[in-house]
Amino acid sequence: MLSSIKAKIIIFYLIVLFVSLSVLGISLYFGLKKIVYNSIDSSLQSKAEALATLIKEDEEEMDFKFSDEIMWEYSSPKSKSYFQIRRFNGTTIEKSASLKNSELPFKPEKDITFYTIYLNGSPVRLINFPLHNIIIQCAEDMQKEINLLKSYKIHLSLSIFALMVISALGGFLIAKKALNPVKEISATIDRISETNLSERVNIKDIPDELKQLATSFNRTFDRLEKAFNRQKQFIADASHELKTPLSVILTQGEVVLRRQRSAEEYEKAIKTIIATAKMMSQIVQKLLVLARLNTDKIELKFENIDLAEITRESVKLLKPLAEQKSIKINISGDEKPTVFGDKALLLELFTNLIDNAVKYNVSQGEINILFKEEKDFVVTEIRDTGIGIPEKDLDKVFERFYRVDNVCAKEVGGLGLGLSICKEIVNLHGGKIEIKSRIGEGTTVSVYLKKDITLD
Amino acid sequence: MRILIVEDEKSLADVLKKGLEEEEYAVDVAYNGEDGLFMAENEPYDLIILDIMLPIVDGMTILKKIRKAGIKTPVLMLTAKDTVTDKISGLDSGADDYLTKPFSFEELLARIRALLRRDSWVKTSTIEIGDLVIDMTTREVKRGGKVILLSPKEYALLEYMAINKNKVLSRTSLTEHLYDYDFDLDSNVIDVFINRLRNKIDRGFDKKLIHTVRGAGYILKE
Repeated sequence: MLSSIKAKIIIFYLIVLFVSLSVLGISLYFGLKKIVYNSIDSSLQSKAEALATLIKEDEEEMDFKFSDEIMWEYSSPKSKSYFQIRRFNGTTIEKSASLKNSELPFKPEKDITFYTIYLNGSPVRLINFPLHNIIIQCAEDMQKEINLLKSYKIHLSLSIFALMVISALGGFLIAKKALNPVKEISATIDRISETNLSERVNIKDIPDELKQLATSFNRTFDRLEKAFNRQKQFIADASHELKTPLSVILTQGEVVLRRQRSAEEYEKAIKTIIATAKMMSQIVQKLLVLARLNTDKIELKFENIDLAEITRESVKLLKPLAEQKSIKINISGDEKPTVFGDKALLLELFTNLIDNAVKYNVSQGEINILFKEEKDFVVTEIRDTGIGIPEKDLDKVFERFYRVDNVCAKEVGGLGLGLSICKEIVNLHGGKIEIKSRIGEGTTVSVYLKKDITLD
Repeated sequence: MRILIVEDEKSLADVLKKGLEEEEYAVDVAYNGEDGLFMAENEPYDLIILDIMLPIVDGMTILKKIRKAGIKTPVLMLTAKDTVTDKISGLDSGADDYLTKPFSFEELLARIRALLRRDSWVKTSTIEIGDLVIDMTTREVKRGGKVILLSPKEYALLEYMAINKNKVLSRTSLTEHLYDYDFDLDSNVIDVFINRLRNKIDRGFDKKLIHTVRGAGYILKE
């Protein structure tokens, strides 16, 4: 319960309210008490002063002849007003009839003092009024006032309690209402799943304080949706790419088995099946490379790498293919272009690029590989004398499964994955890749990779 | 029956052509959309097998164009796209059937047979003309309960004439539906096959089924 914001808000707010109401209640109570006591006290004092004047007049004799009028107030045994006049030694000179057998408590003080005492079980306010060598004590029953204060106290407490209850309820409702948008946001988020990633938190009806949260949620979901769609598209494309060769294998097998055939026919069919299966396995392999490049978990072993060496290795791998088409490969530029990167990935990158340059080249064509430095980068230019890529396709060649729409490309048997792999690898190295092309003249791919860091 | 395959994956198109030819269909292949569209518009095919993702002109465009041109040839879409939306847009563009890759060749054959008899009066796989019974699935031909053995081309000719029974079929139209693009139309090969069919089907029966319509062609009727 205490972990809920609502409960915390309400509890905190009730504590604050309780403390302030209590302070208010206490000050009101004591204020009233002071007023009540002051009024009793001042009336007691005037009475004592009245008595004193009477005494003064007859000071010589020390004889107290209070008029009946004055005595009337004190004489009745039922009267709730009392007086007693003593000497400083405490001996009583005179006391009112209302006191009967009891005495007012006595303290020989030289100042006017007030006390609240209990006389026969009733609360009584007492004044000690010293005068020359005597002390006039006046007292008055204050049961009524005490009762008033008591009921005032009860009234105040009840009011505070009622206010607390009302505030708790109000607070609960307000907190609930204030937190409703949070509930709505979380309900929306709960609804968002794989199947309806496009749903968003409606920002319009959300209070400003929560807008930021909702906006961040929406942005996160935008990113998730995009990533998810890319993944979905990738899977759809991959399955699409695998379905056609699968059809070739299936149909080839079924057709050849429909009747008795010569050994040559079987051989031809099986060869087609094997070639197609090989192509499928290449697609699958490339897809796995791409999928691996796309996960964050890929372990990169970065070190200083001589690009010229990597390029020579790639060229060695592709030599048989290049020789078939009598393509000449030249490497020039910086002697030892060193970059900081992962050897296996860079080998994959340059093998892919040079493979393309061979595949889409004309026979007896040329491939020129040039290394140069540009600011913090080593730029590798791979220029072929191939068929070229139409302008409209240039931005798309890095997309997965994108193949330039012409018969020649199809015959070369490109999978439409090589350049997307290259782009991923270059991205992982914090570099960039650019492509320029002219139909019939050739294509130039420029790879920018960060220089060897020891040079910095 | 003459079929056009428009498919850019050469190995698939070639094996389909081979398989269908062995079923005695005359088959032409186009490896891209442009050729496919030209051939579909200019040759009298009985069926077109059309891939959707094609270089130059895509399958959907071909389909819309030939339907707009009033060509009613049944079209079987053959594609790797398998979402419901793809199927719907294919069928809405005028395709008659839809088969997703990878498919079974047997299923393709069954669907081709179903499409070929869809617009004709033949609704089952058997055609009966008098006492002549043709089973198009097993390719068995009987007359008067007796099995008649036919060569594949003879069967194809008989089947085509049976499907179009009571209609006069010209030599050209017969050639066009039985042979592919590379065949020389001036050849009198049809006359040779008609002769052979007559020997196998009509000889020994009082009622002749194959008739010559002078100056027009041939007709199969009771």
